[in-house]
Amino acid sequence: MPEALVTLSLRVNGDDVRVAVRPSQTLLEVLRVGLELTGTKQGCDKGDCGACTVLLDGEPVLACLTLAVTCEGRVVQTVESLTREDPLVDAFDCHGAGQCGFCTPGMLMTAKGLLAKHGRPSRETIKQAISGNLCRCTGYGPIVEAIAAAGEGRRGKKDEEPLPAPLPSWEAPKP
Amino acid sequence: MLPLPEFTVHTPASVDEAVALLAKLGPGAMLLAGGTDLLPNMKQGLHAPAHVVSLQRLGALRGVRREGDALVIGAMTTLDAVAGSAEAKTHAAALAEAAAVVGGPQHRRMGTLGGNLCLDTRCRYYNQTAFWRGALGYCLKKDGDTCHVVEGGRKCVAAASNDTAAAAIALEATVVLTGPAGIRRLPAADFFVADGARNTARREGELLTALEVPVRAGRVSVYEKLRRRGAIDFPLLSVAVRLDREDGSARALDVVISALAAKPRRLAAAQKLGAADLATLPIDTLADAALRECNPLPNIEGDVVWRKQMVRVLVKRALGRATSLA
Amino acid sequence: MSGLIGKAGRRGDLVQRALGSTRFTDDLHLPRMLHGKTLRCPHPHARIARVDASKALAMPGVAAVITGKDLPERFGIIPWTPDEHPLALEIARFVGDGVAAVAAADERTAAKACEAIEVVYEVLPSAVELDTAITKPEIGLGAKRQDNVSKAVDLAFGDVDAELAASEVVLEGDFHFEGTAHVPIEPHCAIAQVDAAGLLTVWSTTQVPHYLHRELSRVLRLSPARIRVIQPPLGGAFGGKSEPFGHEFTAAKLAMITGRPVKFLMTREEEFYLHRGRHPMRLSFKVGARADGTLTGIDARTQIDGGAYSSFGLVTTYYSGQLLTLPTTAKSYRFSSTRYFTNKPPCGPKRGHGSVQPRFAFEVMLDRLAERLKLDPIELRRRNAVAADSKTINGMRVTSNGNLECLAKVEAASGWKERRGKLGFGRGLGVASSAYISGTNYPIYPNEMAQSAVQLKVDRSGVVTVFNGASELGQGTDMLLATIVADELGLPLDCVRVVSADTDLCPVDLGAYSSRGTFMNGNACLAAARQVKAKLIAAVAAKLEVPEDAVFVTRGALCVKGREGDAVPVDEAIKLAEARFGALGAVGSYKTPPKLGGEYRGGTIGASPAYSFSAHVAEVQVDVETGVVDVVNVWCAHDCGKALLPTQVIGQLDGSVYMGVAEAIFEEHLISPSGLHRGPNLLDYRIPTSLDVPAIHSMIVESMDPEGPLGAKEAGEGPLHSSIPAVANAIYDAVGIRLSRLPFSPGRVLEALQQRGRG
Ligand SMILES: Cc1cc2nc3c(=O)[nH]c(=O)nc-3n(C[C@H](O)[C@H](O)[C@H](O)COP(=O)(O)OP(=O)(O)OC[C@H]3O[C@@H](n4cnc5c(N)ncnc54)[C@H](O)[C@@H]3O)c2cc1C
Ligand code: SF4
Ligand code: FES
Ligand code: FES
Repeated sequence: MPEALVTLSLRVNGDDVRVAVRPSQTLLEVLRVGLELTGTKQGCDKGDCGACTVLLDGEPVLACLTLAVTCEGRVVQTVESLTREDPLVDAFDCHGAGQCGFCTPGMLMTAKGLLAKHGRPSRETIKQAISGNLCRCTGYGPIVEAIAAAGEGRRGKKDEEPLPAPLPSWEAPKP
Repeated sequence: MLPLPEFTVHTPASVDEAVALLAKLGPGAMLLAGGTDLLPNMKQGLHAPAHVVSLQRLGALRGVRREGDALVIGAMTTLDAVAGSAEAKTHAAALAEAAAVVGGPQHRRMGTLGGNLCLDTRCRYYNQTAFWRGALGYCLKKDGDTCHVVEGGRKCVAAASNDTAAAAIALEATVVLTGPAGIRRLPAADFFVADGARNTARREGELLTALEVPVRAGRVSVYEKLRRRGAIDFPLLSVAVRLDREDGSARALDVVISALAAKPRRLAAAQKLGAADLATLPIDTLADAALRECNPLPNIEGDVVWRKQMVRVLVKRALGRATSLA
Repeated sequence: MSGLIGKAGRRGDLVQRALGSTRFTDDLHLPRMLHGKTLRCPHPHARIARVDASKALAMPGVAAVITGKDLPERFGIIPWTPDEHPLALEIARFVGDGVAAVAAADERTAAKACEAIEVVYEVLPSAVELDTAITKPEIGLGAKRQDNVSKAVDLAFGDVDAELAASEVVLEGDFHFEGTAHVPIEPHCAIAQVDAAGLLTVWSTTQVPHYLHRELSRVLRLSPARIRVIQPPLGGAFGGKSEPFGHEFTAAKLAMITGRPVKFLMTREEEFYLHRGRHPMRLSFKVGARADGTLTGIDARTQIDGGAYSSFGLVTTYYSGQLLTLPTTAKSYRFSSTRYFTNKPPCGPKRGHGSVQPRFAFEVMLDRLAERLKLDPIELRRRNAVAADSKTINGMRVTSNGNLECLAKVEAASGWKERRGKLGFGRGLGVASSAYISGTNYPIYPNEMAQSAVQLKVDRSGVVTVFNGASELGQGTDMLLATIVADELGLPLDCVRVVSADTDLCPVDLGAYSSRGTFMNGNACLAAARQVKAKLIAAVAAKLEVPEDAVFVTRGALCVKGREGDAVPVDEAIKLAEARFGALGAVGSYKTPPKLGGEYRGGTIGASPAYSFSAHVAEVQVDVETGVVDVVNVWCAHDCGKALLPTQVIGQLDGSVYMGVAEAIFEEHLISPSGLHRGPNLLDYRIPTSLDVPAIHSMIVESMDPEGPLGAKEAGEGPLHSSIPAVANAIYDAVGIRLSRLPFSPGRVLEALQQRGRG
C-alpha cells in the first residue's frame, strides 16, 4: 500500500510553498526533488557529512535527518536564498574557501547560522561550528578565514579584485 | 539515497495525547524526537515502525528548570541547550560537558536529551546497512541468532554510546517516565540495563519526559570522552565523575565508565572508598582499579587494546580534573 | 599578457557552485527519468548459478532488470587488461560486486526490487588477504587462472648489489600501508538517455569522459558516433572517478531497453565498493650510503594488494618504483613490485598514484640514514639531489627543478635549524621531499594523436568560448583556461566562457589524471589563444597602418607602442579581425615530446614532460599517555613551475597536505578477513573534521618550466607525497619511535612507545 500523501505548507527562502509529500520523505528529498532546490547537497544521506545542512527556523540542521512532515509551518532557508553580493559568499570566493563546491552549500548555511548568533566569531568558535561539515578539498583553513573575514565585515585580502558588477545595464549603440 | 521504510506520522500536542497514541498504536509505533538516531537507523533497516510519533509539538518538554533541590531537564531539550544552560553547567557540569561533545553541532542542535538517553546501543555489526548485515548473516540483536562480538554469546553486548548516560548516572539523576499507568521515576543507574538488544527499563508505551538532576552544594562533576576526531564520532570510551565535598573534604565519589557494553559501569572501587581514602583521593589506585574492572569489547570500531589502555588514562584525567575543580 | 596571470585573485567559479546554479550530475532531473539500483554480491568470491528476477519485474513501478548476460563485453581502463564486467557475468569477485541492475519509477522501488531478485550463488574459495593471494595461487584470480598475480615488474639500474656491498652503511626497513579511499563528498552518479534518433547521451561523474566514451562504445557494441558523454562539474574526485564504472554501462543499457532516461546515484556504502582507492602495499627497502652521505644503492621490494580487478594496476605497479628516482637519487636502484588480485574492492589511482606508499618508505629510510651518518636530513637530501636539466638513473628527462628551493623554504619557515631536536620530549619536526609527474607521455591506448586539445570560438560581442575536453573536478581547470585566454586577448574574465568535457562539443582530452591538466590543457589553450591574438594584432595593425610587431595587448585593448592614444578595444579588434579573416576561431593541441623516458620495457611509464617538486616539514605533538599524534603545523613548499592562479595552487597544496596528514593519522581502508568491508560509511571511515587538521603553511616555488604553459607545472598531487613521511619523521624527532605501519593511530604509537621503553 503506497503511503498517503500529506500536504505540507512551509516557508522556503521567503516563499510560502505547499507541497505534497510522503511521510517517509526527508526534507532533503523534498527540497531537491519536490521543490527543485538542488543547491542543497546529499553526501551520505544519514547524518555523517553535513552536506545537506539548511537553516530550519534559523538553525543549521541536517535536512537528510529531518522528516519533511515535521516542517509544517516552519521556515526553511537554503543556499538558493543567498546571492553573490552576500559578504559571506563573497569572502568564500575571495579566500578560495571551496574548490569542488560540493560541501560549500552546507558550509555556507552553517556559517550563516553562526554569524547570525555571533557577530564576530573567533577562529576557534568557527572551527567548532563547522566541525559537522566535512570538506575533502580545502583542508578547512580558507573556510575558517573566510567566515572570520565575513564576521569582521572584511571581504578578503587587500589585493582583491572588486566584486564583478552585477549584470550591467546596457544600451545598444545607435546604428 | 537511503530510502526510509514507509510509516504514518503522528504529532500529538501533549504528553497525555502522546501516551494515549502509544497505547493505541501498540508496539508498532516508535517515538521520534530529534531523529538523529532513529532516522539513520531506519535508513539502515534497523527499525521499520508502522507508526512514528513525533514529539516535536511537546513544547512543555523543552527547557532546563530549577525545581527545589533539582534541575529538571525536559526530554525534548536539545543537547545544545543542555550544553549551553548556565544552570546545567553549574549544577550538572558532567551532563553539560557530555551534551557538548555529542556528535557534531548539527546533531546537538537537533538531538534531544530524551533521545540521547534512549539511544539505541551501537555495534559495528549492527549499525550497518541491510545489505551489509545480510552479507554478514545478521546477528542476535537484529534478524539473526549469533553474536559476532562474543563468540557463542547469548546476549547482545552492543555498546551504550550515549554520552549523557554516564553523566546522568554519576550525577544520581532520576529518569521520569510517563506511561499509561502514570508517572514512574527511576534512578538513572537503574534505567540502563545490561542487554544490548534493549538497554533501558523503559516499558512499552512509556515516554521519557524529563531528567531530574539533584542540586547539591559542594558537588563537582566532569565528563571525559575518548574519540578519534574532534567531532562527529560516538564515544570509544567515556568517563563521568562526580565528587561531593563537605567542609573542604570529599564525602562521596562516583566514577561511571561507558561505551564498554550495553550498560554504563559504576566503578566499584570508587564506591567502596572509605572516608580516609576519600580524603586523599588515590587517583592512580582508582585508575588501576578501573583498568581491572573494565573490559572494552570489540563491539565498536576502533582498536580494542587501545580502548582498554585508555580506561586508566581517561579515569585519571577525569579524576584529576574533578579534584582540581573541587 | 594583460596581467591576469599570477594574481592571488578570487576563486572565481565558486559562486555558481556554492549557490546552486552549477548542476552537478545528481542535480539533473530529466522528464520521465527512471532510477536505477544495483544488486550486489554478498560473497567475496562466488559463481552466479542462477538469477531469477521475475518477482522484481512483477513489482509495480519496475521497468526493467538486467544481469551480466545483458552486457557480456569486458572493459577496463587499461586496454591490455580489460577484466571487468558492468555486472558480474559468471563470477563475482568481491563483496559489493554488481550482479543485477533495476530501473524503476523511483529509488525506493528500485531498492525494493533489488531485494526481490533471487540469486543462487555457489561460493568459491577466496583470497581476501594479500597473504592468501600470495600463498594460494590455485585460487586463480589472475588472467590465466593459474595464480593471483596481476602484474609483476622488475627493473634494475646500475649494480645495486655491488654498490650496497661497498657501502659504509646499509639500512633495511619494512613498511606497511593498508589502503585509503578518496571519499569525495559527491558520490558517483550517472544518467543515460537515448533520444528518438538513437543517440545515447551519458552524463556522468567521471574524470575521464573520453575513455568512458570509448568503453561505452565497446561494451554496448554501439558506434562511438552514436554516443555522447557529458561530464558535469564534479564535487571532488581525487582519482576515484578516473575510470569507467559498472553503473555507467547499466544506466546506458537500461535507458536503451526502456527508452527512458535512467539515473544511478551511488550510496555512500556503494562508494566504498566502487573504491579504486590507494593500493595497500608492503614494502621492504634496503638503502646504502657512504660516510659522506652519498647514496649508493636502493633496493625495493613491494607487494601490492590490487583488489578484485586490474583497474590501472599495470601502471600502479610501475609507478610504485619508477617515480622514486627524483628528487633524491642513489648511484644504483632496483625495484621489484608485484601486484596481486584479492577478493576485495578494486584498488586504483588516488592522488599520487602508486608513488605515495614507496615515498613514505624511502623518506623514512633517508631520515634513518641521516641519523646514522649524523647528517642533517635536509643536508642528506641536498647532497643527493638530482640536478635540473639532467636525466634520472632510470632515464627520465628532468628539466626545471625547484627541489633545493623547496627544501630551503621549508627549512627557513619551520625554524628547522633552531628548533629541530630542541622542542622537548613529545614535540618534534620532520622533513621529507618528493617529486611528481606533470602528465605522462603514455596515452593509455597507443595513438599518435594529441593528448589535449582546445577550440576557441570568438563572438562579435567580445565573448570567447573555450571548448575543451578537460574535466573540472574542483581543481580549477575551467578557470585556468579562461584566465589564459582572457590574459592573452586582453579580455575581462567574465567574457570568456568555458565549455568542458562534452564529447560532442569539445575536442578530446584524455582526462583529469596524472596531473596533466595545467600542463597539457594549458599548453593547448595557449596555442589556440595565440592564434586568435595574432589575428587581432594583424587586423589592428592593418587598420592603424602600423607594423604588426608594434601592436600589443593590454587589458581591454590592443595598443600601438609609442602611440598609446590609439588603443583599439578588444571587442572592436575582434570585429576588425572577423571582417578581415572571416569567422574567428582557433584550435590548439598538445602532445608530449616524442622521446621521453628510458629505452627499456616500461621506460615510458613515469616519463613526463616536466616534474613538480615538493618539500614538507611537519611539526607534531605526541601525547605519550594516549598515543595521540597531533600534527600541529605543516610547512609545504611546492615547485609548480609558475603559479598561474595562485589561489588555486595554494588550494591544491592545502588540500594535498590535508589529505596526506589524514592518511598519516586517521584513515585506513579495512576489509575484514571475511571479505566484508569494515565499515562502508563516514562514521567508521573517518575523514578529518575542521578540528582535526594542522595549520597548513603552503608556499609556492616557481622554477619556470621551459615547456610548461607560461612556465607552469602540476600542483594537485605532488604536494601530498612527502607530507606523510614528514609526519613519520617528526614523530621520531618527538618521541624516538619509528613507525612503519600507516596510519599512525594512537594504539600503534602507544605500542611503539612501550616497546621503546622496554628496549
Ligand atoms: C553522525 C552522528 C554522530 C553522532 N554522534 C553521537 C555521539 O557522539 N554521542 C551520542 O551520544 N550520540 C551521537 N549521535 C546520536 C544522536 O545524534 C544523539 O544521541 C541524539 O541525542 C539523539 O537524540 P534525538 O532526539 O535525535 O533522538 P531520536 O533519534 O529522535 O530518538 C532516539 C531513540 O530514542 C527514542 N526516544 C526519543 N525521545 C524519547 C522520549 N522522550 N521517550 C522515549 N523514547 C524516546 C526514539 O524512539 C529512538 O529510539 C550521533 C548521530 C549521528 C548521526
Ligand atoms: S553485540 Fe553481538 S548481538 Fe549485539 S549487535 Fe553486536 S553482534 Fe549483534
Ligand atoms: S547528506 Fe545529510 S549529513 Fe550527509
Ligand atoms: S570544496 Fe570540495 S568538499 Fe569542500
